[in-house]
Amino acid sequence: MGTSAIDVLVIGVSHRTAPVAMRERLAIVPEAMDTTLAELAALPSVREVALISTCNRVEIYAAVEDADRAAQDLAEVLALRAGVTSLELGAHLYERRDTDAVQHLFRVASSLDSLVLGEPQILGQTKQAHETAKRGGSSGAVLNACFQRAFRVARRVRRETAIARNPVSVSSVAIELVRQVFGDFAGRQVLVVGAGKMSELAARTLRTHGATLTVTNRTRARADELAKRFGATASDWSDLSGALTRADIVIASTGAQRPVLTHAMLAQVQRARRGRPLFLLDIAVPRDVEPEAGKLGGVYLADIDNLQKVADEHREGRKSEAADAEAIVEQEVDRFVKAWRGRQLAPTVTALRAHVLGVAQAEASRISATMPGLGERERRALLDLADGIAKKLLHAPQMALRNDDTDGLSLVTAVQRLFELQVATATATEPESEDDEVPAARNLDDKKVAGR
Amino acid sequence: MTAVEIGVYALAATIYLSYLLGLRTSADKVGRLVLALGLLLHFVDVGARCIHGVNPISSTPEAMSLVAFLIAAGYFLATLRYRLAAAGAFAVPAALALLVLARVVPAEADAPAMGSLGRAHVLLASIGVAVFALAAVLAFLYLIEDRQLKRKQFGRVMGQGTPLDTLDRLALRCVSIGFPIFTVAIVTGAMWVARLGLLRHATALRPEYLFAVATWIAFGILLVARVGAGWRGRRAAWLTLGGFGGAMLVLATYFLRHAA
Repeated sequence: MGTSAIDVLVIGVSHRTAPVAMRERLAIVPEAMDTTLAELAALPSVREVALISTCNRVEIYAAVEDADRAAQDLAEVLALRAGVTSLELGAHLYERRDTDAVQHLFRVASSLDSLVLGEPQILGQTKQAHETAKRGGSSGAVLNACFQRAFRVARRVRRETAIARNPVSVSSVAIELVRQVFGDFAGRQVLVVGAGKMSELAARTLRTHGATLTVTNRTRARADELAKRFGATASDWSDLSGALTRADIVIASTGAQRPVLTHAMLAQVQRARRGRPLFLLDIAVPRDVEPEAGKLGGVYLADIDNLQKVADEHREGRKSEAADAEAIVEQEVDRFVKAWRGRQLAPTVTALRAHVLGVAQAEASRISATMPGLGERERRALLDLADGIAKKLLHAPQMALRNDDTDGLSLVTAVQRLFELQVATATATEPESEDDEVPAARNLDDKKVAGR
Repeated sequence: MTAVEIGVYALAATIYLSYLLGLRTSADKVGRLVLALGLLLHFVDVGARCIHGVNPISSTPEAMSLVAFLIAAGYFLATLRYRLAAAGAFAVPAALALLVLARVVPAEADAPAMGSLGRAHVLLASIGVAVFALAAVLAFLYLIEDRQLKRKQFGRVMGQGTPLDTLDRLALRCVSIGFPIFTVAIVTGAMWVARLGLLRHATALRPEYLFAVATWIAFGILLVARVGAGWRGRRAAWLTLGGFGGAMLVLATYFLRHAA
């Protein structure tokens, strides 16, 4: 109720609280984003608003005066849009306020709240959400500061922890492994033997990195069909050895019951290849490559279990990195809120002084004007008296403001309300920027006028 | 001066080693910066010695300091194009060790007059050995990575940096640059020895001559087999290490004789 450290609210659902059936009803398509934002921004209880909508979360971030009111209003709009009752929605909805809301945003942007820890998309999506809100004019000083800091925190987390370093999906593990042998894929020849879902994914990724694809299959017609789908050339099954000789990377996923790539065949191929390295990704079950083939010089072999094991290890690794990341977020929230409060403090103190001193001076001037007999000396004394009383009275509240270090209850906003101070909220986007002096000075002038 | 440059190299070596041991997530930027500072100090140091009449090829210790400089500089230049942080954990400590040895041992009091032939020999041999050292570092890394891949320690291989194929190609490039330089070094060395008339002495067949020739043969075989028979990978890496071992023996014999 206006006495929090920072008046921010987040309300929404995520993969943690709502099943996909609920999330997809709430999801806001990009085309509807602007109108939805405008609708939310028009709520009287909402001063600023931004909206994140991904397949894993729908969240509204808002700067508010009255958090209870705003939370209720926003939830109603969400329920109405999704065509569910507030009660139904309420079961899945979570809400964070104040410092907790800031922390939530930092965690989301740093991918600590993601389904796959450390996945990189969420930062871009968060940026997109902020961009859209800024463009539509619904994100102001408070949300701008929060979001921009969130992006910096996310970058710091990425830089200082290994949370996003190692791939956690089988196909990206495969890609990284192959990269460890070949460096880049430009001009590399990839041979796809057979066609499973996973091989398609890996092959497509390799192709986008500049590799050339060749597809081979026991039935030529199937090979042609796959080649068309992958944007590859088809090779005849009878020329398997030839195709292997030309390849750098082989992705095998046939439905064969016995290995199709035998040790003997690969030994011969490797001689013809004059020792060039060959990476075999065997993602078929049962396996397509005889395990002994992996012992040949220059031949590297990974089967689906090997890849899965690495992916699992990396997933575990990310979990342990998350603890460090959480500590960073914690620290950054603390810093941000302190800086934010400091930013509010200086103009408030200035405004308070200007207000009180202005009133005292105005009253003294008024009195002296009603007493025409006063000489210059007496007039001065009267003004000094008013000034002195005002300053004495100001001393304690000023000290209290400067030492205001309590959590959750901020004297700054209390003073602003008590004295009806119109403090222009910091307009710069980053709380640490050193331009505190400028709005303070402007405030002083405003108050002088207002005091009369 | 010397203490400072050794300290800076030691710091760079620590950074790269801690990267290899997984204590740091990245050594690329900081390591390179510290190494650049070390190189600069080393360069100024060598320059200052030149001004005082001690040129870098006038004695075994001075030449070793030059080799250290060339190894560090060569590595530094390579990092500008390739991701080679893991290689730094070998190249930088090697340069550091050589530099420390070079500075601990006093220069010969009665160094023989070198003449232009001798100077050319020492200079070329220094460059050749430094380039072979870089090749050996790359080959060594190749063998480690190859082994990890073969043993399916994929988690450990990944993210460690330099791709296997890059290591293989870079090592070969080093050998093909180093080989002709080393060849000329051997020829000038032989001519120098002949001119000094040492061959007629009983010491004609000093072990370092044999080691030098063995080194030359090893790298020669490597280059020929690579071009002719497509030798790559593990075999090439072992041969590179063998050749470099020979070059180290040459340096060691010089050094021991000098120290004795």
